[in-house]
Amino acid sequence: MGRAREPVRIVVAEPSPRQGGGKLGTVEALRRIGRAVRIEVVHDAAAAIELARSSADLVVVDRDLGAEGERVLAALRRGGPPVVIVSPEATADVALEAFRSGAADYVTASADYAEVLPAVALEQIRAWRAASARRAVRQRIRSLERLHAAIVDHFPAALAVLDAEGRLVTGNPEFERAFLAGGAAEGRPLNAVLPAELLASADVPELLARARSGVACAPRIAHARDGEHARAFDVRAEKLDAEGRILLVLADVTERERLEKHVRDLRRYMESTIQNMYSGLIVVDEAGRVAVSNPMAEQILGEPPGSLKGRAVRDWFGPAAEPDGCIARSLAEGARVQGAEGVVQRADGKSVPVAISTSPLVDADGTRLGAVVLFPDVSELVQLQSQVLHTEKMASLGRLAAGVAHEINNPMGFVHANLAQMEEYLSDLARLLDAARSSPERFASLSRELDTETLLADFGQAIRESQEGSERIRHIVQDLRAFAYRDDGEWVAADLNRCLDSTAHIVWTMMKHSVVLQKEYAALPPVRCHPKQLEQVFMNLLVNAYQAIEARVARDGGGNGEIVLRTECRDDGVVIAVSDDGAGISAEHADRIFEPFFTTKEVGEGTGLGLSTSFEIVRRHGGTIRALPREGGGTTFEVSLPQHGPDGRAAQP
Amino acid sequence: MSGDTPTLLVVDDEERILSALRRSLRREGWCVLTASTPDEALRILDEQPVDAVLSDHKMPRMSGLEVLEAAARRRPNAARILISGWPDEIPAERLAALGVRALVPKPWDDAELKRILREALAARR
Repeated sequence: MGRAREPVRIVVAEPSPRQGGGKLGTVEALRRIGRAVRIEVVHDAAAAIELARSSADLVVVDRDLGAEGERVLAALRRGGPPVVIVSPEATADVALEAFRSGAADYVTASADYAEVLPAVALEQIRAWRAASARRAVRQRIRSLERLHAAIVDHFPAALAVLDAEGRLVTGNPEFERAFLAGGAAEGRPLNAVLPAELLASADVPELLARARSGVACAPRIAHARDGEHARAFDVRAEKLDAEGRILLVLADVTERERLEKHVRDLRRYMESTIQNMYSGLIVVDEAGRVAVSNPMAEQILGEPPGSLKGRAVRDWFGPAAEPDGCIARSLAEGARVQGAEGVVQRADGKSVPVAISTSPLVDADGTRLGAVVLFPDVSELVQLQSQVLHTEKMASLGRLAAGVAHEINNPMGFVHANLAQMEEYLSDLARLLDAARSSPERFASLSRELDTETLLADFGQAIRESQEGSERIRHIVQDLRAFAYRDDGEWVAADLNRCLDSTAHIVWTMMKHSVVLQKEYAALPPVRCHPKQLEQVFMNLLVNAYQAIEARVARDGGGNGEIVLRTECRDDGVVIAVSDDGAGISAEHADRIFEPFFTTKEVGEGTGLGLSTSFEIVRRHGGTIRALPREGGGTTFEVSLPQHGPDGRAAQP
Repeated sequence: MSGDTPTLLVVDDEERILSALRRSLRREGWCVLTASTPDEALRILDEQPVDAVLSDHKMPRMSGLEVLEAAARRRPNAARILISGWPDEIPAERLAALGVRALVPKPWDDAELKRILREALAARR
């Protein structure tokens, strides 16, 4: 024990140094015990008691201290180091009284005082130290017992001790709660207590046999149904002693198993989603390199399977991966972008239009780890959009056809009649030629009869007017062809006054009988656009304006309508407004006019795509289109467009 | 009616049509008057009698049917003939109510038109 090596501490309580028979005092006599003795001398009870309680090994009280000495004895009687009384007289009464008041021994200051006192002191010290050590061991055992009981009682797993025959010796409260339902554990065989399913699913008998033979085994997972709920247990067994007793531990891991399964399911779900999604997916690390990719990404980027990891995304994404592109902004600023138009440049020279969505990838602490980039291939969509645009354009043409047919019909009418006349003129001239060949007289008479001068003048006029008529038809056909021509999809800088004017010119043929057209054009800068697409927007707005006027005239009667075409520069772009004094748009329709297939027209008169197509075209130009009620009735459609296109790049010269 | 030369009023907002009809029908012996607006046509009808009125249908401000209606009030004896690029769009009952003698499609057959006018004139005499 550590204490054994500590120096011996003795407290001496005496009024003055006592001389023994051999002339040695108490302190000198005690010093003879050895060098490792510390002696503290005090003269009153309080000091003696205080020192005694701070781990002294022995207290020597001189009887001459009187009542003070008795106080020391009384204080140390229960719990304290042994007290030895020293006294000059050696009467039986005094000795008896000393023992009665709790002293451990009594020494007389006789001639052998210097020999007796150290021997008695040493004897008392040994006994005291041995008792102290026993007390410490007992306390430690008690504390360990309490700790053990606390652990067993509160351990969050079912614990059971089994005897060598596999019968229950004891179970902790958790075991009782889980398996015994209040019944006693002791003496019952394990298979009478645990569900058969649980024992079988982890082969618990085999586990116990192994543990009994001292073989270490890995924990097993057992399953059991508890009513509706499937439960899972982590089962372990450990040999406790030579008698073959075994500790069985059953930890309910249902929740852990459930969470693990949930995590596995989520991972599988995510993995299968990523692998099979009809969109390229790439996780980009902070350095802009591919960390994760799916098969569709490889397909769109035109790279062999498994070859993307570690490559720089700017190899394919060009501007989107540049410092101001959406991927770079997601990496640098945590920006989220949805469906940005982009183009993938493949190594084989092909380019694929994609819609890029990016979002930052952050861990639980909010630290940015990279970015997730989704990029579905939108080639088919782009193709379909172009088809829809073309179809709608053809539908607008259909709406125009009536007006155009009228415009063609008039020149057709007079050219046709003129041709019939010219045939007659020609046969008259042939007759005249025959007459000239036979005789000058017959020629002169027929010439008078046919009024040759007038005939020639009419013939010339018929030819000139027919030429003019066919020229008019040619112009109309040319205009239509120019409008029907499919856009090649290039962005160019165009003069929108000219686009508007040439479109108005085509539509004008159908409406000139009933509409006055006002033009208020401002000087406009060149606007970066798809001119053919914008012409279609203007066409739709003009046809709508015309139809609104027709609807008003049909409803209220009244005279001609008016359409005002106005252009102006505003902010960093241009505004094109088409106003009519037609029937206007009712409040119930106002919210829906830009919806696809919304139409108030009869079946066959409109596709219902005109305004939604216009809306889409203008949106893709980075502009807006809105319908405003016009003062005094009618509607103004206002198209606002940025000068430099949707991405703000400067127009090409 | 002016002696032996029958008079025809042609109404169309297209000058070249008037010109073609004038040349063609003059050779048939018609005295051809032309009007390029309904107003002008009504003024001529107020000023002089005619044997026949040939009017285009689709014109600004006033339709051919309206011109023929006005002609019927002013010159009830004049034959009324309508010419139109969209003959199907014109209701038959209105034609009948106005006593329109013929509906000629545009472009027209010159010989057919001449025959219609000859018959109209014969019916009046």
